[in-house]
Formats: sequence, structure tokens, C-alpha cells
Amino acid sequence: MPGSIFEFLFKYRPLVFREGRLTFESPVALALLVPAIVLLSAIAVWTYRRVGGKATPGDRLVLSIIRVATLAIIAFSLLRPALLVSNVVPQQNYVGILVDDSRSMRITDNGDAPRSAFVGQEFGAESELIRRLEDRFQLRYFRFSSNSERVTDLAGLDYTGSRTRIAPALDRVREELAPVPLSGLVVITDGADNAAAGLTETLLALKAAQVPVYTVGLGRERYDRDIELSRVSTPRQVLKGASLVVDLLVSQSGFAGETVNVVVEDEGAIVGSQEVKLPADGEPVPVRVHFTADQAGPRRFTFRVPAQTGELVLENNEQDALIDVRDNTIKILYFEGEPRFEVKFIRRAIEEEKNLQLVLLQRTAESKFWRAAIDSPQELEHGFPRTREELFRYQALILGTVEASVFTHEQMRMMADFVSERGGGLLTLGGRHSYAQGGYAGTPLADALPVEIETSYGTDTTFFDSLRVTPTRAGLANPVAQIAPTEDASAKAWEKLPRLTTPNPLGSLKPGATALLVGKGDHLGDQPVLAWQRFGRGLAVALGVQDTWLWQMVPPLEDMTHETFWRQMLRWLVSSTPDQVTVTLPADRAAPGEAVRLIAEVDDAAFLRVNNSAVIAHVTRADGTVEDVPLDWTIEQDGEYQGAFTPPSTGLYRIDVEATTPAGPLKARPAFISIEESRSEYFGSQLNKSLLQRIARETGGRFYTPATVRTLPEDLSITGRGSTIVEEKELWDMPVLLLLVLSLMAAEWLFRRQKGLA
Amino acid sequence: MRRPRTNRAAATAAVVLMLASTSARSSGQGDRVTDRPGTERAKLRAQRPHAFYFTRGIYSGWSRFGRRGGGSWATDWPKSDRTFLTVLQRLTNVDAFPEEHGVLLDDPELRRFPFLYILEVGRMGLTPGEAKGLRLYMLNGGFVMVDDFWGSYEWANFEEQMRAVLPEYPIEEIPLDHEIFRTFYQIDEIIQVPQIGNAMTGRTWEQDGYVPHVRGIFDDKRRLMMVINWNTDLGDAWEWAESPYYPVPYSTYAFKVGVNTVIYAMSH
Repeated sequence: MPGSIFEFLFKYRPLVFREGRLTFESPVALALLVPAIVLLSAIAVWTYRRVGGKATPGDRLVLSIIRVATLAIIAFSLLRPALLVSNVVPQQNYVGILVDDSRSMRITDNGDAPRSAFVGQEFGAESELIRRLEDRFQLRYFRFSSNSERVTDLAGLDYTGSRTRIAPALDRVREELAPVPLSGLVVITDGADNAAAGLTETLLALKAAQVPVYTVGLGRERYDRDIELSRVSTPRQVLKGASLVVDLLVSQSGFAGETVNVVVEDEGAIVGSQEVKLPADGEPVPVRVHFTADQAGPRRFTFRVPAQTGELVLENNEQDALIDVRDNTIKILYFEGEPRFEVKFIRRAIEEEKNLQLVLLQRTAESKFWRAAIDSPQELEHGFPRTREELFRYQALILGTVEASVFTHEQMRMMADFVSERGGGLLTLGGRHSYAQGGYAGTPLADALPVEIETSYGTDTTFFDSLRVTPTRAGLANPVAQIAPTEDASAKAWEKLPRLTTPNPLGSLKPGATALLVGKGDHLGDQPVLAWQRFGRGLAVALGVQDTWLWQMVPPLEDMTHETFWRQMLRWLVSSTPDQVTVTLPADRAAPGEAVRLIAEVDDAAFLRVNNSAVIAHVTRADGTVEDVPLDWTIEQDGEYQGAFTPPSTGLYRIDVEATTPAGPLKARPAFISIEESRSEYFGSQLNKSLLQRIARETGGRFYTPATVRTLPEDLSITGRGSTIVEEKELWDMPVLLLLVLSLMAAEWLFRRQKGLA
Repeated sequence: MRRPRTNRAAATAAVVLMLASTSARSSGQGDRVTDRPGTERAKLRAQRPHAFYFTRGIYSGWSRFGRRGGGSWATDWPKSDRTFLTVLQRLTNVDAFPEEHGVLLDDPELRRFPFLYILEVGRMGLTPGEAKGLRLYMLNGGFVMVDDFWGSYEWANFEEQMRAVLPEYPIEEIPLDHEIFRTFYQIDEIIQVPQIGNAMTGRTWEQDGYVPHVRGIFDDKRRLMMVINWNTDLGDAWEWAESPYYPVPYSTYAFKVGVNTVIYAMSH
């Protein structure tokens, strides 16, 4: 309506005034006309000055202003004002029309009709809009979703695209229409772009080519009632029985203040849930869910909020993740320097963990060792490993209270390399011969630790303190400190545990290290009790207490804190330890027809990278057919090989990588990827108005909604590029000018009457 | 290459004699149970916690005349404990509290000491609180070493007491191939260790306890919770190791059993 009023008064739309250039076409030269007008104005003012009677100087001033204004308007009209506007030459230019045919266009958020109904209605072959466009332009039609292609018309679109990728579509169309005079591109979409590619380069290219983009946004910016689950991040593989803590985001509109349940399912069986109270509309809330992966194999875990009444889009209520739950045995070497109860109770805590083999090398006297859980009599028969091959067979190393002088420098170096190069997990325990008290300051192992070795107490072995241990914020988010089913219960459980003792005041955290547990003592202030850091490829963890077994002996019999803590500690310690051959996939899923890149890393027994190895991936599809994909050495990275395959059909694919090295053949554990149509279209599927406005703004185009799209053909004519002519639009007969003159005359008459001057 | 057992046994015996004699000169009665403030024991206890405490379980019992009371739990205390600890620290690298240490069976603090030694159980008469304390102690992971009781009469009393503590777990014979017999020393036979009085006469048995047994109570995961040395007196062998009247082989054997038991209890 406001646009119509403007057009009525000013004869043309605001766009014409913005795009046009004002000029004056008067037949009389300005040099004559302007002085004449000035002279007439001066005479008018002089005549008013001579008027006597009741008129005051103020009255004369007002009347003079009115008279001068009236003369000015008349003079403006006499000057024959006009707007010079570039207009496209009919039928000489092209316009590309791109229509989004992804699944989000099926959403019915405007009455009962889907978004795609607008396309048929306004851009159908017989529609008035198309007819008006065809009067001026040569039209070319394109459809786009995860890819784009030219179509003859829009009637055959089925809106089944699994992704929306606007930038690549614009690039493709711009390139295809580059040889012809292009007035602009029209993009009809909801703007729910879920492509990985950025838009900036595309817009710069369009701007450089002077191709404006006119975007037509469909759908609502916000749904009345909808819940959406997003940002679910899970590990790609875990050991069977592992406890997982997963963070995700819940967004909603229309459910503020309500409580919903986030449920976790393992192939349909519920394994965890978390209640969440929804905040104000539009405000996302982070949710943390806890569950255990008890079943082995490639498992699909679904995170879901059950459908609520009145929800518009249900497909965005769940996300799933493919996690490879491995049922293999992990070997951990625990070297303890003296008999102590920590050994007994750690062994008891994990004795039912069939996937963890805790090999114990226990020193019982000066040169006497006792071994447990070894695979053969030869294992560790000479004591602590002396070669990399021997040590690197283990996935993690636990060091008890063993003085540093027990190790040679080479062994010390080897332990640091075990973490940084082999990628093994290292856990050091507190005790009278640990840390500074054990003489570790300045050793290669000290470099790996997440805490500085505090030497201010020297090697004083009489010092000890009693600590109240509590988790940090980071600790509450880590499975190791999850000693109860929920975070709140876990925080309360920590408060009830008995105090522990330490003879090792630990130093400060290193940059990049994180404390999961802290302790406050009678003598020491707050100090880290459990801290970790990444050191090279591996994980280094420091535990600064010596008697966690008190958590088993002292609490009531039914308390499982000690077992839970140690099971989760050891699982976490080995969670990312690589094998000699490891396979990395970009994601846990891909769409059919989309290339999947494989990367394999190959190490020898000493975990030194192997180049020039023959590496092949056997890709088994869901139907059982096997495709062999050779992987080539990347050259830039030692031991890294890459290849790709394109899955033709949906289903679970298994990838087995084999490497032939000088030392013999090696195999990686199988990796899995789910090939499925993407459901990302249903997430963030609201109208992305800001994105579409940005595209229009940065390219010199305009943004439309279904309500304003009718002016598109004229706007394209005026603002478009290509072959244009200059058109003159006269302004002297604008109704607003006549109205202004009449208004001023009426105002003068009224003023005179009021003042008694009429 | 492993040294022959005979050489090691002889060396152990020599060390035992030497250390036992040292311990005998330095031992004394001292404070029996509590660490009264200001005493040497109290000061020792206030120092840094040790990894191992040879803890005596203090229980209620019956005197020889059938009256409640008596000092059965304190038999051989504290010399036996101190001698054993001296030898333990010399032969192994266990970080042991060097003195005797007693805790009541119904004291909640008992669970802070996962190794427990009780003896003369033939005259043990547990109160309900003590029975419960001992039960929870073992089920939570504590290990109990029982010693020095003889004959069928005393066995019957002990068995009755244990029925009140762990009725669901039977007492079983521990076979010689069990790990407790090889954690530190290899023990190939069960030797009957006499008390000093009998040792001087050449007789090793008491009452009708002619045959020594090593029995145990296992939990439902087959973990040994209690080792029961019946018809033998290891404590006396520790206590009188330095005495010229007490045969060295018995002490040597008793220390081996003790060391094995401690190492086993701290690792299984």
C-alpha cells in the first residue's frame, strides 16, 4: 500500500528514482528561466511589503514564503524535469532463473501448501510473471540442490534434493551464461544452505562480472512450534562397554518453559536419556547425555526428542551417529615400583573388563619382579621393556611409584616417544617415588606430563597432605569423573568420598593441559589431582594421589565409585591410541554418488612411518560386492596414503585396509561408513532471509518475498545489466506537484481569512 | 638364570637370624593399642602414611576359664609383629609401618588397613558389631590372615564364628598350586610350625592338631579373602626367630609364608 501511494503521487516506483538520474528538459534556457523566476519572486515579496492594513511583518513573511514556494513549484514544472533510466533492450538480454528443488521446499509452513507451490503458481509457464519476464528477456531455467543443472522448464521438479548448495549453483550458472548478455539471476529458495563451501568468493565473482542476483525467499523465518536437535558430536570408535558423554544443542520455538526428554537409542534400544527444560523461544540450550556402548560392531546411535504436539517439522527432532564399538583387547602395561594396595584394587576394578588386559610388572624387591596377565613366559622376562618394539606393543603405560633412576636414559626417552610418536596413553600415579620425589624433574618423561614437576619440596619423602578431591567443570564433562548416572548425581557423589593422601605436591598445569580433578589439602592449596594433555599423538595423564583404593574400602559395599573411576580412566587412556595401520574417513556418512576420501597411516613395529608401502582398501558395499581402491602415498606426509571411492548405493559400507611393508603385511581394523540420503535439509530449514538479502545486496540485486515479487520484471529491466537503452521518464506531470500548488494556494487563502486580510 | 632354592633359603635364613636378633634387642612392650598423644608411636603414626600396616584385629574372646575377656588377640604382641616387619622390609621393598598396629574389628577405621592378622581364634567370640565389621571389611576387599589355633575343638569355635561373619561362603582347602604359594617364594610343602615350648621338645603339634592345613575363604569371583593357617603357629616362629632354642627352619618357613601372604594380599 505505501508503495502504491508513492507511485500514485510520484508517478513511478521508488526504485526508478533510485536508479534514475535527474535531468531538466526545458525548451527555454536555464540561463533565462532562473533569473525570470527570481524576478517574479522579488516582485511578489515587494508587493506584500507595500500592503498596509492589518498585516504584520510576520504575516507578510508567511505570505511571501507561500507565494515563493508556489512559484518555485511552477518553475520546477516549467523546467521539464525527467529521470534518465537505463532500461534493458527487450529480448536482447538473458535472465537465469534458479529454483531450489531440495526437500526443504516441501515444508508446508504457509497454510496448507508447500513452499514449492509458489514456484508453480508464480513461475509456471502460463503465469503472468513469466509472461512479463518473457516480454523483456530470454529466460533460462536451472534447478539446484546438492548439484545444479539446466532444465527446460520448472514443471518437472520433484523437490527431492538432499542438500542445498547455493554458491556452487550460482558459480555454475554464471559460467554457463557468461557468453551471453546477462541481465541478472533470479534465485527462488528458502535459503537453508547447508553446503560446506563459503559464499564470499561466489559473490565477489558475481560482482566482478556485474551480474546482480535477485533472491526470492520462501517460507517463514521462524516456525510457530518446532524443536530441533543439532551439533551432536560423538567419537568415531570406542571400546565395548565405554561410557560416553555427548553434548548436543536443542533449539526451539513455541515451547518455552516446557520440559522435554532427550533420548539416546542404540539401534532402537534406549540406552540413555536426559530431561531438559526449554528456555525462551529462539534460545538454544546445550544438553549433555550419558550412555554406555554395550553392543559391539558398527552401531547407529540416535539422539531424539519425541515429537511434540503441533510441531511443524518432525524430521529435525533427531540426529544419529555411527559409532564403531570395538570388541578387541587392549593391552596396558602397569609398572609398579613396590607392592601397594593400589595395584590390588585397580586390578579388581577392571577384572571384569574383558577388553582390557592389564599386564602387571610389579617390583617386589630390589631386583625381583612379579608379572601378571602376561601372554607368554617371555613377556617382560628382563623387566621393563628395553626396546621400542617391546614397549610399543602396549596401547597404554601406567607408571606407579618407581624412581627415575630405575630407567636408563634410553628407556626414559622411549617412554616419552611412546606417547608422542606411538600415540600411546601414559598415566603416572602418585607415590613416595613419583614426580619430584622420584627424581623425574628434567627428564624426557617430565616433558610429556601435563603438570610441571614441583621441586620446591626437593625429594623430601616425609611430606604428605590429605586432599579433598573434587571435579572441575572440565572434569564433570569427562567420562572419567562421571561416577554417577547424571552430572548432578556425580557432583554430589564426589562430595561424599573419603579424602586421599599425596606425598607429591604437583606443580602448575602446563599450557594446553586440563585439570579434571583438583584437591584442597591441609597444607597445600588447590592443586591438580588429575590432569591431562595431548603430547604428540598420544595422551599423557597425571594422577597426583597414592591411595584411590580408599574409595573402595571405606564407602559402603554397594558404592561402585572406585570401579567406575578406574574402568573409565583406562578406557579413556586408550580411546585414541592408533594401531600400526589406521584408516580415517571424513565423516560417519556420505550421500550416494558423493566421493568418499580415505586416508591411511602406516607405521612399522617401532611406530616409525613407512613410505612406499603398497596399500589397498577393500570396500565392501551393503550388497556384498567388493571394490578394491588403491591408496597412494601423499608424499607430503610420511606414512600417509590416500584414495577415494564413490558409493553408488545406500547402506553400510565396510572398509578393510591392507598394507604390504618390508616387514610383512599389516591390516587395519575395519572402518565403517553409512551411505544414505542426507537429512540435513530439515535442519535450519527456516527462511534464511539474511543470507538471501546479503546475496542480493552484495551483487546489486534485490530481495523479494512472495508478496513483493510482482515487481520483479520491471525491477530487472531497470536495474539489470546487459544491453540497455536510456529511457526518459517525465516528472513535470507528477500529481504531487499539482497537489502541492493547490495546497499552498489553499493555505494562503486560509491564512488571509484567519488574519482578516482577505 | 635363577639361583638354586637351597642357596636362597640359606641366605634367607641367615638374614632372618641376623635381623631377628636386632629386632629382639630393640623391641619392647610399648603401647599396646592406642597411640596416646606424645608417645613415640603417636609421633610415628602422625608421619606420612605408609603403604602397608601389619594390623592386628582386636576381637572379643573367651579366657581359658570360659570367661569373656582375656588377651587372645594380643598373643605374641608386639614382638612377633615387629620382628616380622623388620624381616619384611629387609627382604622386600614394601613400604611398611615399622611397628605393631592394632584396630578393633568394629572400628570403622579398620577399612583403612586392607591387611588384617588375627590369631588364637580358637578362643574368639565375636560380638555382632565385630562380626559385621569383619564381614564388611572382607567383602569390600580387605584380606585376613588367620594364625595360631589348634585342634578340632578350636576349629569348631572358629568355624562357628565365621558362620556369623560370612555364612554364604564355605571354608576350603587351598591347594599347593595356588598363587599365594609362589608370589615371592616358592613354597612346595606345608610345614607345621610349633610354638617355642613344643619346639624345644621336638613336638610340633598341640591338642589333636597333628596335621597343618592352609585353608581359605573365597568370594563369588574366586578371590581369596581369608587365609587360615590351622594347626601351626607362624607368629611364634617370628617372635622367637633369634632365640637359639627355636629351630631356624621353622622361622625361615614362617617368614616365607608371611612375606608371600603380604605380597599376595597387596596385589590380588
